[in-house]
Amino acid sequence: MESPAISNKKVIHPFVVTILLSLLLSSCYSVRLMNKNGIPEPDPLNTSEDFYRGKRVHVLDTVITLKPVEGEFYLIERCASGGFYSFEYKVTFGGVLLNVITFGKKRQVKIKYVCLKQSD
Amino acid sequence: MATTVKHEIGSWDTFHNNGPFPTKVLYETLLEAKGNMPSITDRYNDAAAEIQRLIQLALSNREGFRAYGSAWSMSHIAHQKDNMHFNTAMNLKRTIDVDELHPNATYVRENLFFFECGNIIKEINQFLFDNGKSLKTTGASNGQTIAGCVSTGVHGSALDVGSVQDSVVGINLIIGAGIDDIVYLERHTRPALNDVFASRIKARIIRNDDLFKAALVSLGSFGFIHGITVEAENRFLLNRYVKRISKDKALQLAQTLAFEDADFVVEGETDAGGKPLRPYHYKIFINPYVNDTEYVVEAMYKKPYRSGYPDPVPRIKTAIYRDLILLFTSIAERFRNSIPSLIRLLQTSVLPPVDLQVTGTIGEIFWDAGYQGPAYACAVGVDSRDSPKALELLANLAKNEGPIPGLYAMRFVRQSDATLAFTRFPVTCMLEIDGLIWNPQRDNIISLPQFCTRIIEVLQANNIPFTIHWGKNADWSFPGLIEHMYGANAQQWKECRSALLKEETAALFSNRFLQDTGLSEYIVNAPLALAASVV
Ligand SMILES: Cc1cc2nc3c(=O)[nH]c(=O)nc-3n(C[C@H](O)[C@H](O)[C@H](O)COP(=O)(O)OP(=O)(O)OC[C@H]3O[C@@H](n4cnc5c(N)ncnc54)[C@H](O)[C@@H]3O)c2cc1C
Repeated sequence: MESPAISNKKVIHPFVVTILLSLLLSSCYSVRLMNKNGIPEPDPLNTSEDFYRGKRVHVLDTVITLKPVEGEFYLIERCASGGFYSFEYKVTFGGVLLNVITFGKKRQVKIKYVCLKQSD
Repeated sequence: MATTVKHEIGSWDTFHNNGPFPTKVLYETLLEAKGNMPSITDRYNDAAAEIQRLIQLALSNREGFRAYGSAWSMSHIAHQKDNMHFNTAMNLKRTIDVDELHPNATYVRENLFFFECGNIIKEINQFLFDNGKSLKTTGASNGQTIAGCVSTGVHGSALDVGSVQDSVVGINLIIGAGIDDIVYLERHTRPALNDVFASRIKARIIRNDDLFKAALVSLGSFGFIHGITVEAENRFLLNRYVKRISKDKALQLAQTLAFEDADFVVEGETDAGGKPLRPYHYKIFINPYVNDTEYVVEAMYKKPYRSGYPDPVPRIKTAIYRDLILLFTSIAERFRNSIPSLIRLLQTSVLPPVDLQVTGTIGEIFWDAGYQGPAYACAVGVDSRDSPKALELLANLAKNEGPIPGLYAMRFVRQSDATLAFTRFPVTCMLEIDGLIWNPQRDNIISLPQFCTRIIEVLQANNIPFTIHWGKNADWSFPGLIEHMYGANAQQWKECRSALLKEETAALFSNRFLQDTGLSEYIVNAPLALAASVV
């Protein structure tokens, strides 16, 4: 017969693990790089209540699968002006975990960028 | 061909959520690609034709049409219920050619630049810098369009310089859909560009001081401003200092602006005889809720440009702290759902004891301002000699009939000759109140509209002549407000507008703001000479 303490542990364990896992999987941070002299491409319809308000935002949210011989990859984006105003990438625990358990073959990509405004 | 994207938006708002306002259509005109039409002049004229097509469409539908820039105005000045035109993709810029200078011009050709309406100040700063030049002044940051700045009269605190519109020497307006409806306005007493320039942009030239001055601060209502000729100057640096000084000294300087004779001495900013230099910029920050014996002031001194100074914009930023007001709004952002706590914080805090010195170009010192959430700004202009009294009255208003979540500031600007410039005193003190929008019911405090009405009533009751920033929050329907502020100039402005525009185009370029202020009135018998060249 199991002691009550041990059976308690069995009840608490999965619960704590779930909480921890969901916290870890959702835990993330982002880094935003911006161009001091750049002028963002405007978007009058972007009413987001943050840094991106009024700016035309491009989002990349995908998982890249690499073949065994491939070690690195490039994302080739297009800005009509030829330059980036800002670039933000997000690192999530889930993304890091995915990379680890697939031995680097699956890379989660969460990027937001704004192009420079076109000018002569 | 320039192309226009049409969005049926239903509702429109300002950058800082001072709306929303019902709006049917938002247009955005995109220039023809450079590769398809390499000449700047061709692309400019091509865009003008597209704007005329949109104007014709609105006229045929008996609707209104209004251009706007970055939507940074907090009043409803930029709003139009039928058709709004977002300009910022119209951003051609160029220098002036040798054959375009007027023979009687007193300007240096290399200082003149022609900007299409949608250029924002930041891109103008950059373009001028690359040409070894600089704007003479800007607002406290750089996101407004040049047409938006001029239309409301944007100012910094350049006490001997003036506002953005005071550097404008020519205005290209599209006032209708006809061949004769592209006009280029200049002062007749100070012409800058000649008929060669006007013919290149297919414009009819009108040289007339009074018309020019009326169209300078046009509130978006003299037609579509397509391009603006600006006089720049050689690039320069500003040494910026933020200091705490005694309240009495700060206010005495506000009243007299006699820096050379005052004992406000900043180390290194003195002449050979040790006398204080006159600053380019002077600003005072005030927390109206604290009876502090000291105020935080910001002074800037103009220096010749040199390279190699430390970059004033740090590499890593958690908050953009260039200005106490911006610092305040970013702190206040955390109290958005608890305005009473924010006010309690204000009531117990003195402004930070900063002693900051940086050096930079105008574009670096008055750099980006991020979105800070729903915000309001009230700004009244008073004669600098009345400024201590006006501050006392309006600070008491906030204390006695508020509190409201906001900080006060005072900036100083030289007089403008624009007919409806709010900088109409020899030196105007812009007394500003900036803060977060609140909910008067939930927070159980006076509402913003009530507070705005009381500002007018208090200044009137105390016989302090004043103006109000066109792009900021105010009780714009207050009876007789415009006549009280501008006297005969209001009539002069309406007459010039009526002489330049046909009745139907005057209605087209009108909006609710103009109706609220009574400035939409069309003077049928306005003398046509008001819109003719004076030779
Ligand atoms: C963060 C922030 C900081 C600010 N700092 C300052 C400051 O330091 N000093 C200051 O004075 N003000 C300041 N303001 C107020 C703001 O700069 C002004 O209200 C300015 O006019 C906004 O420019 P805009 O390009 O956004 O024009 P909008 O607000 O979009 O429009 C303003 C007016 O210009 C008209 N207009 C725009 N383009 C055209 C065109 N092509 N043809 C005809 N009419 C046109 C519009 O119809 C409208 O009447 C600030 C506002 C914000 C949000």
